[in-house]
Amino acid sequence: MTAKKKILLIDDDKDFLFATKLILEKGGYEVFMAEDGRRGVEMWKSVSPDLAIIDMMMETWGEGFEVLKKIRATDTGKDTPLFMLSAVDLKGPYDSFEAPADFPRVNQVLHKPVKGEDLLRLIANALGEKK
Amino acid sequence: MMENQKPLILIIDDEEALRDGCRQALQKSGYTVLTAGEGAEGIKIARERKPEIAFIDLKMPGMSGMEIIEILSKDVPDIVLIMITGYATILSAVEAIQKGAYDYLPKPFNPDQLRTVARRGLDHRNLKIETRRLREEKERMEKSFITFVSHEMRSPLVVIRQYIESLKAIAGDRFGKDVTEIIERCSMRIQGLEELIEHWLDLSRIENGTLAQKKETLKLSHITARVAEEMAPVCMAKGISLVTEVPEGVRDIIGDEESLVRVFTNIIGNAAKYTPEGGTITVSARNDEVYVTVSISDTGAGIPHDKLPFIFEPFFRVRGKNERHKGSGLGLTFCKKIVESHGGEISAFSKEGEGSTFIMKFPVQSSSAEASQIR
Repeated sequence: MTAKKKILLIDDDKDFLFATKLILEKGGYEVFMAEDGRRGVEMWKSVSPDLAIIDMMMETWGEGFEVLKKIRATDTGKDTPLFMLSAVDLKGPYDSFEAPADFPRVNQVLHKPVKGEDLLRLIANALGEKK
Repeated sequence: MMENQKPLILIIDDEEALRDGCRQALQKSGYTVLTAGEGAEGIKIARERKPEIAFIDLKMPGMSGMEIIEILSKDVPDIVLIMITGYATILSAVEAIQKGAYDYLPKPFNPDQLRTVARRGLDHRNLKIETRRLREEKERMEKSFITFVSHEMRSPLVVIRQYIESLKAIAGDRFGKDVTEIIERCSMRIQGLEELIEHWLDLSRIENGTLAQKKETLKLSHITARVAEEMAPVCMAKGISLVTEVPEGVRDIIGDEESLVRVFTNIIGNAAKYTPEGGTITVSARNDEVYVTVSISDTGAGIPHDKLPFIFEPFFRVRGKNERHKGSGLGLTFCKKIVESHGGEISAFSKEGEGSTFIMKFPVQSSSAEASQIR
């Protein structure tokens, strides 16, 4: 039996963490959770997850962005799939948000709430798994 | 920092006896008093010490009181300027007030009169500052309220739906058809509440000017083509034909493309809800010299005559036989506000059982010099 793949969830909403953890565990992953950006980055370094899901709208818009930048800047973060979570549709015509030029590469943008089957499928694809 | 909590009053008068008299009377009432014997000195003191009130003699050698008032009302924020005059005439009072004075005190005056005028001036100043502070506070709150609502109110709803997703993921295979349906219905009602919040936010965004801001030249046929593309699947699923009759040559309008697309899709979406299978929704446009008129008509249920005047009101719903059509009740209010923010107007005509027509009129873009002269 191969070791479970590790997924790191970074979100300031405990309930969202718990709800998403249930889905991921059902999908057979080992789940690590961080409630703020600082702890998220620390955990990234100590756990070396196979994939991370980062909420963009934590305390401030900048927080998720900073976390994303810091993780991408680490050795393990260069090629690891990173998913970005958002409660708003960033591509929507009504959001004034414009990604800064140095916005780190994101493998997948997810909109809350995330459907269980979609989430597991996207993760499996990103990790190159056959499900 | 806090050198003095007592209100600071400046007296600018060339008569030494008057300055001393004022100083004594006001100090007794707990004011700190500064004095100047002529204009230039007075202005210098006022700029440095920023007194709450300045009493200024209108008639002095050198710089006149009127000039001092004019300068101080510009240079010292919130200063209350009171003119002292030995020959108070209506004309000079009016002129002083036009230049920025708040009140005037005719000579001769006694200490009580002086204190009363000072007290009144100070009250006026405090009220003015407080009003401004409250207004700024209100504007700040209105702005952050929108952000607050979007985050604080939507987040729990999103999380509840996320829990429902988890429930389906971890235990969905154990649910019977009935349980699955209950869960689906919960999810849909929560989603409806999220939409309601979203629409309500849109309305506040229109009101504070953060929505529909763009003022671009827009080709109507391009917009209606986008709308048709977006709405075709919805209509097709219901067996309704969507016909677009917008000639290429219709005059351009000025506005915000994204919000207009939403207005049109909103109205077509409504029409599709109330139009039975086999019906038709027609989008057409024409223009005259002044207006571009877009009309969207359907062959649906129609709107009862007595309900028609209220359909653009917030939260108004036409409650008909078809209770399952649930919406936020803000869709048409949104449309009306957007159309009006484009300088246009929207109206609706309907005959029960035959269909409804929504007509929107937008000012044509005046491109020629001739047209801009008319404006």
